[in-house]
Parts: sequence; C-alpha cells; structure tokens
Amino acid sequence: MSLSPLFNLRRFLILAGALLLAAAFACSPAHTPTEGHASGAQLRDDAGRDVTLPQRVDRIITLAPNLTEIVFAVGAGDRLVGNTTYCDYPPEAKNIAKVGDTLHPSLERIIALKPQVVLISTASQLETFTQQLQNQNIAVFVTDPHDLEGIFRSIEQVGQMMGRQQQANTLVQQLRERTNAVEQAVKQRPPVRVFYQASGEPLYVPGHDSFVTDLIRRAGGTSVTADVPGAWPKFSNESALAARPDAIILPTGGSMGSANSTVVEALRNSPAALAGRVYKINDDLLARPGPRLVDGLEQLARALHPEAFKQ
Amino acid sequence: MTTRVTLRRTLIACGTLMLALAAAIVIMSLLGSEQLPVRASLCAIFSAGTSPCGLSRDQYDILFQLRLPRILLAAAVGGSLATAGASYQALLRNPLAEPYLLGVSNGAAVGTMIALVFFGAFEWSRPVLAFAGALIATLAVYQLARGRAGATPDRLVLAGVIVTTFLSSVIVFVTTLMDATRIRSFTFWLLGDLSGSTGTLLPLVIAIAILGTLALTLNARSLNLLMLGERDAFDLGVEVGRVRILVFVIASLLVGSSVAASGSVGYVGLVVPHLVRLSLGSDNRISIPAAALGGALFVIVADTVARTVIAPRELPVGAITALIGAPLFIYLLKRV
Repeated sequence: MSLSPLFNLRRFLILAGALLLAAAFACSPAHTPTEGHASGAQLRDDAGRDVTLPQRVDRIITLAPNLTEIVFAVGAGDRLVGNTTYCDYPPEAKNIAKVGDTLHPSLERIIALKPQVVLISTASQLETFTQQLQNQNIAVFVTDPHDLEGIFRSIEQVGQMMGRQQQANTLVQQLRERTNAVEQAVKQRPPVRVFYQASGEPLYVPGHDSFVTDLIRRAGGTSVTADVPGAWPKFSNESALAARPDAIILPTGGSMGSANSTVVEALRNSPAALAGRVYKINDDLLARPGPRLVDGLEQLARALHPEAFKQ
Repeated sequence: MTTRVTLRRTLIACGTLMLALAAAIVIMSLLGSEQLPVRASLCAIFSAGTSPCGLSRDQYDILFQLRLPRILLAAAVGGSLATAGASYQALLRNPLAEPYLLGVSNGAAVGTMIALVFFGAFEWSRPVLAFAGALIATLAVYQLARGRAGATPDRLVLAGVIVTTFLSSVIVFVTTLMDATRIRSFTFWLLGDLSGSTGTLLPLVIAIAILGTLALTLNARSLNLLMLGERDAFDLGVEVGRVRILVFVIASLLVGSSVAASGSVGYVGLVVPHLVRLSLGSDNRISIPAAALGGALFVIVADTVARTVIAPRELPVGAITALIGAPLFIYLLKRV
C-alpha cells in the first residue's frame, strides 16, 4: 500500500506521529556522546542525548518552522544556511535554501550545504536519518518541548550553541515577563473549560503531553482533553460532545489557510457554540513551539477572559 | 441441489445472519467512549428515537447523531466491500480477487481525490467520481489481464498489482500538489476511517449496499455457472458478456460509494467471502447475500473496537480490519 508516503503528509503526521516518534527516540540509547567534533560544549537535548557541539557554529540547518524562528530570534539568522519550505517567518527565512519539507528533507541537499549542526523536532525526523547525518560529522540536536518551560529551554540552548547566550537570555526573560503578566491577569478568574480543536476531520486534540495543554492552563483555562494520553491524540466525537466545553479554540488562518475554520458537528450544540464562545486564533502562533507562542498565549487569554484585560 | 432446497438454505443462513446483524447494531450502540445508561438507551432505540426514555439531551445526541449513524455506515461499507469481493471472486474465478488487490479501491480513491480538488463544494461529486474511478480501474485491470488464453488468475493478479501501484503513484503525486486543507481531508479518506460519519452520504451508501447486493444475488445462478469456466457457462446459456459488465458496474458502485464515505477499509472483501464459503459452501445464491451480512457484522465489530479500545482516543477502522483480517486469512489459507 502506498499509504506510508501519504500518511506522512504535512501537519497531519506532525500531530499524529508525535507520540510514535517520541517513543522511537526513547528507544535510542541515551547519553551517547557524538564523536568527531572539535571538542566544544556538550548539551543534553530533549531526546536525552549528550550532543557535542563545535566551539563556534557558523553553519546551521533547521528542519521545522519553530526552530527557524528560534534561530532568528536569538540573532543567529545570518548563520542559518538551510531550512524547510514551511519556514515562512520571519520573512527573511523564506530566502534561505530549502532542504525539503519537515517530513521529507533531502539528505543530499543537507550534506551539500555543509552544516555543522542540524536542529530537528522529534515530531518530524527519523532515527536512520539522524544516524546518517552523524556519520557525516554533522551534530543532530533534538528539541521536543512539552510545555512553555521546555520552549524557553530550547531558546536558551540554541542561544548557547550559537554563542548568543546574552540575547537568548534577554529574550527568554521578556517572554517570561509577558507570560507572568498574563498569568497574573487571569489568576483570580475561574478557569474556563476549553476544547482545542487542532483539526476537525478527523478530530485531533492536544493531549497530556502537548505544550498547548500547558498554554491553555496558563491562559486561565482547563483543556477538557488535558488527561488524554499522548501529545496529539485522535479523539472520539462522542467524548467531545459529552465534554460540554464552555469555549472552543480553532487554530486557523495562518500558514494552513482556511483549514479547520468550522466547529465539528459533535460540538455544534455545545455550551461554547451556543454562547458564541468559539475563537479563531492564527495557528502559526499556537502550533509552533517557538518565541511567538507567547503571542498565542496572550490572544488565548484575551479570548478566554476578555474582562481581565480591559484597561 | 434443487432450487427449493437452496432457497430454504439461503433463507435460513441469511435469516440467522440478519438476526445477528440486528443484535450487533443494538449491542454495539451501547458501547462507546461515553457510557450511556443501558436500559434508557435500549428503550430509546426500540422507540426508534421518538422517545428519549430519560436520556439527557447530550446522551440522546451521542446515541442518535453520532453512534448509530456511524454503526449504520460501518454496516453499509462492510456489506458493500464483502459483496464486491464475493462477486469478483466468482466472476473471475480467482480467490484473491478483492477490491483493494485489483486496484478498484485505488481507482475510487483517485476519483474521490479529483472530486475534492476540482469539485470540493459539491459533496455528491465524491461518490460519482469514486464510482467512475472504480469502474475505469476495473476495466483497465480486466483488459490488461486478458491474454490469448483469456484472463487467467495469474495474469489478473499481476494486472491488479500494476494498476494498484500505478494509481498509488498518481495519488502520491497529486497529493504533493494539493494544499494542506485538501491533503488533510483526503488523508482521512485513505486511512479507512468511519469517524467522519458523513451524514449526507449515509442514505446513498446504504441504498447502494442493499440494491447492489440484491442485483448480484439475482445473478448468482449465472455466477455459479461462470465458476465452471466462461466457455462452459456460455454453452449452458449464460450471457457471459452481459453478466461480466453487470458485475463490474455493480461492484464498482459498491466500492465507489464505500470509498467515498470511508476510504479504503482493507481485508473485508477477502476475508468475509472466504469465511462464508467455508461455512456455507460456494453456491453464490447463498454466499453473496451471506457475505453482505457478514461483511456488515465484521466492520461493525471492528469499528466498535476501533472507537472503544483506547477511548477516548480512536484508531482508524482499517487498522482493526487488517489486524483481525490478516491472521484470519493466513489461517484460512492453511486450512484450504
């Protein structure tokens, strides 16, 4: 069956396969130092591997849009020599050599660009791929944040590997302040029961291990799917109906276009839909675990608690 | 065997299966990721939804708007695929003739994809083009398989493999050109998944399943004679060409409507007809309607597993039919 290449398409698998690939990485031997680099700093990545990095990184490739955003945000965009076709922010990211999309990067093109480090997200890359890059003396660094703290750590780690600690730390501090401001604003408000519809047909939701679940909590909500195992499980329509959420979030209108702009049938008569509490938020701000996620947090909190942000 | 004995056996076999199917529909509608009160649910089902019997509004909606339509769709899809498989196997005298193996499912999938890309706004274009795709794939396989010695089973399977892989490449190629919205909806169809319970298509899929099975059952005698070989069947008065076209068209309708509603659910067309023939014999007057009912039962049970086993998460039903189907098929092969 030719289902495997199709199954790998775009965000569908980024959502569906996250858990699977996390499991694949969990099976890889932990704490194996990579060899062959001029000894620089060792950084423990999110797959539990101690990655040895060059003293100075002049050439780096990112294989996911959130990683591209992080590299630019720490001020190392000029050393980014390759990224994916999904990388459209900041605008300069579009002019960088494309090595394919997140799920189908071209190994040949990556090697031809002679990077010292390749940044990958577990949701998108495979073990064999990692092995082949390591054989070429290219360090592979995995990021797999499950909450906002994990994203801050990714930013700090990228800053450290690019020699941009100062800028990374400043950025993280700013992001923390904005996050705290949001949390303070909604602290006294009763949490809103939120249904986050990552996609409608089929129905995918953020589960226990998703950073979105953490984001909803910080925005003064409770995700009704917070206890479902996994990061992006496919969810039962009848359980969605039975959950009776008070607000529905539709991530849509960003790079995914108008996809996911309507509430699934099972939620049409939910308290949220009947009260008109369905909020569309740009999916690029909610689906990419990078610096702009805090923008998403602010929009989410304003949607859930508009009265808390009245000046 | 005299016609009267056959008729009696058909009625007994199909009557039993029909009772089992009705029981399965009721019992499986009591199972799901949400626990509903059993007594009230049964009461509501037997009142055909006219009385809520004390179910809350949400419980009523879960039962009648989500669960039962999905179970009925599972039944129609299962019945359609098993009937199509059984009639291909008889017509082509090939135990491996199955909608997926022959490339018919992929033909329907390509049709569905064209409908999504060019006529996305018209939901009815999906089953129509899925049918067209299934029929074209069927005819292509048959023409490819026809050598000087006629369509031998070996040539047929080879032709099916060629058409299947060709259409798979077409699917892969076109999906890389599609935008994200369409890819996601289309990926959903390809997985063999019933969770989208497309309300508007449900009556059509049920009608085609019932009418298609009836039409093929009425031609079962000709199919019985065709199992002796095309020449013998012709000598015995069977209009071979007419029967062949009829089976191709009806089976394409059955596969097309199923794929348009739920994608390619594998193994149903292979396992169910074999199981039926092993237990009831190979007389198509019995095995075709029995396969339809058995296929409905099989997919209802498989989908109930898919939607309950890791609730509130779900699996695609295609994964369950393959998990049950593949080992069962191996067992059947060993026994024969």
